[in-house]
Amino acid sequence: MLAKYAISASEAETEDFIQWMLLNSWTNYQDHCMDQRTIIENEVNSLPLKISNAIKDKPYTSEPIQLPPIKTYGYQIEGIEELGLIPVIGADGIIYLQGTPTKAGDFTITIKYKYDGWIPGRPVLERKLPFAVNPNPRDLWKNIPTSQDVVYYKPDQDCEYVTVPTGADGSPRKDMVAASNRGRSHAQEGKPRDDHFQLLYCPENEWYIMAVADGAGSAKYSRKGSEVACRKAVEFCQSKLKDAQAFEAKIRAYQEAEDKEAAQKAISNDVYTLVGNAAFLAHKAINEVSKGMEGAKPKDFATTLMLAICKKFDFGWFIASYWVGDGAMAVYSKDANTIKLLGIPDEGEYSGQTRFLTMPEIFQDHVAISSRLRFHIVDDFTALMLMTDGVSDPMFGTDVNLNDIERWHRFWKTLQDGFPEDGIPGVVFADDREQTKYELLSWLDFWIPGEHDDRTIAILY
Amino acid sequence: MRRLPVYLLLDTSGSMYGEPIEAVKNGVQVLVSTLRSDPYALETAHLSIITFDSTAQQLTPLTEIASFQQPQIQASGCTVLGEALNLLAQKVDQEVTKTTAEKKGDWKPLVFIMTDGVPTDDIRHGLEEFRKRKFGMVVACAAGQGADTNVLKQITECVVSLDTADSATIKSFFKWVSASVSAGSMKVEEAGRDMGSLSELPPPPPEVNIVV
Repeated sequence: MLAKYAISASEAETEDFIQWMLLNSWTNYQDHCMDQRTIIENEVNSLPLKISNAIKDKPYTSEPIQLPPIKTYGYQIEGIEELGLIPVIGADGIIYLQGTPTKAGDFTITIKYKYDGWIPGRPVLERKLPFAVNPNPRDLWKNIPTSQDVVYYKPDQDCEYVTVPTGADGSPRKDMVAASNRGRSHAQEGKPRDDHFQLLYCPENEWYIMAVADGAGSAKYSRKGSEVACRKAVEFCQSKLKDAQAFEAKIRAYQEAEDKEAAQKAISNDVYTLVGNAAFLAHKAINEVSKGMEGAKPKDFATTLMLAICKKFDFGWFIASYWVGDGAMAVYSKDANTIKLLGIPDEGEYSGQTRFLTMPEIFQDHVAISSRLRFHIVDDFTALMLMTDGVSDPMFGTDVNLNDIERWHRFWKTLQDGFPEDGIPGVVFADDREQTKYELLSWLDFWIPGEHDDRTIAILY
Repeated sequence: MRRLPVYLLLDTSGSMYGEPIEAVKNGVQVLVSTLRSDPYALETAHLSIITFDSTAQQLTPLTEIASFQQPQIQASGCTVLGEALNLLAQKVDQEVTKTTAEKKGDWKPLVFIMTDGVPTDDIRHGLEEFRKRKFGMVVACAAGQGADTNVLKQITECVVSLDTADSATIKSFFKWVSASVSAGSMKVEEAGRDMGSLSELPPPPPEVNIVV
């Protein structure tokens, strides 16, 4: 062949030349392949590929992942099947990761690909992608039971139903139900529930008495404060209402009174001595209890209090109340489209700056006490509700919204609908129905991010 | 929901090149991984990354922990801390929800500033804008001997210093930041009020010195 080009070479020279030529070309060829591979690899590595984070147990589909077509092919995805995901690769070469992740953590996904010029037997290329799977937030909350050895122990949950049987005339009469559930923020650390409630129906005179209290999170014995507040206030109202003919007469007289103002004043005075005093005695009872605990001050028992007494007359319902602190207490009438707040929630300019029953200034004078008392005569209503801020904050947001009837309609519906997406059934408000209390308790376990306070609600309906 | 905004202002000037910047990247990664497994922080804390070198830029807008993705962080150029403070002020205006009668706004932001040098720009304007905004807690960290704690003291009374800007020390600073964000997320929710002083943060590790 060399002769054809007029090259005269010995056999040995020819042999050497061919060897030299082949080796040179082979090296060139290798370099060419390597260049081709490197160009594609660099292009792929410089792609701004990102896939969003997943959440454990939640269905997930990643953003489309696209490598340069033609230049790359034969994709294989590694590192996702053990997470519960599968790669979906379309005919167009676009890759999606799909599935429901079963593991949380930081992972690396490897996309292996062949490239233009790849020859069987050669290693394929790969691009690594970081991939984060968040834990299911609900898995992170622990539920550590409160130690029964803790001073002033109380159960982490409580609920009660008070059946008021059908009256002599055969008409159904309103019942009361209440539930109280320790917040997740407390459950997380095995801390006790600070909320409390108490319900009482007096069959001899048909008065209903309800109390709900929220022990301050920052006060170390507030769980006892809320309990004493409810117990003492209800106890006092019960004893006073045993002998309340004069009071009831004034309520009746108000209906017919020509001088409404005078009649109102007469009732106000009685509400003051009855409900106002109940709150004051609760305040004093907490002071007494604090003396029994070494080194404690009344403010270590800081608690809010919502107290309502209620009775049905021929002309409607009489409701009197006392309210100090945050939360919500209101009479809701669905059909009449009305909401009557039984006071003003004591929330300062900043959230959390509430007033407490344990503060002496709450009882400093007549005006201070009266400003927290209310009485109303209303037609029949859907529900009288008392709730701590663990319920009202997530359900209403701010105090301004407590005056918004639409919000109450929504709230009442939420109570009955439950939270189907979280498997929490609704509450059935039917007459003489004991199991309503368990429904209400399980309803209180609703999930709203950032809302994990103790929750207590009492309802007369 | 009331978010707890957390702003990280990170010095990415040329002097951070190499080990320090790698440690910072790793620190951010560890911070986010840790916060993801904290139920309070996962729900409440939102994170933004602002870097400053020859310019200040927000690499990650305020993002919930669950969606946070590690940004590209590189070191080069000078140290425009003043511009970073100004950018922070603007971003707080845009991103942090204020409380109104109908809606409770976000908690006051926590800010962690980390720098290894002296600002190369005039910080007065940025400082002025920064001071007009309300923050829950601002911690400034002087990483290594090159940083000037006196400048940082003008920004906040909470100044800490790291003796060296090596990986182990930077790592422990980020661990402390992550413990602080966890504590903050829990505190705002439990106590229902903003963070305000260094004493409310977990005690810093031995590598992180409080500058008095």
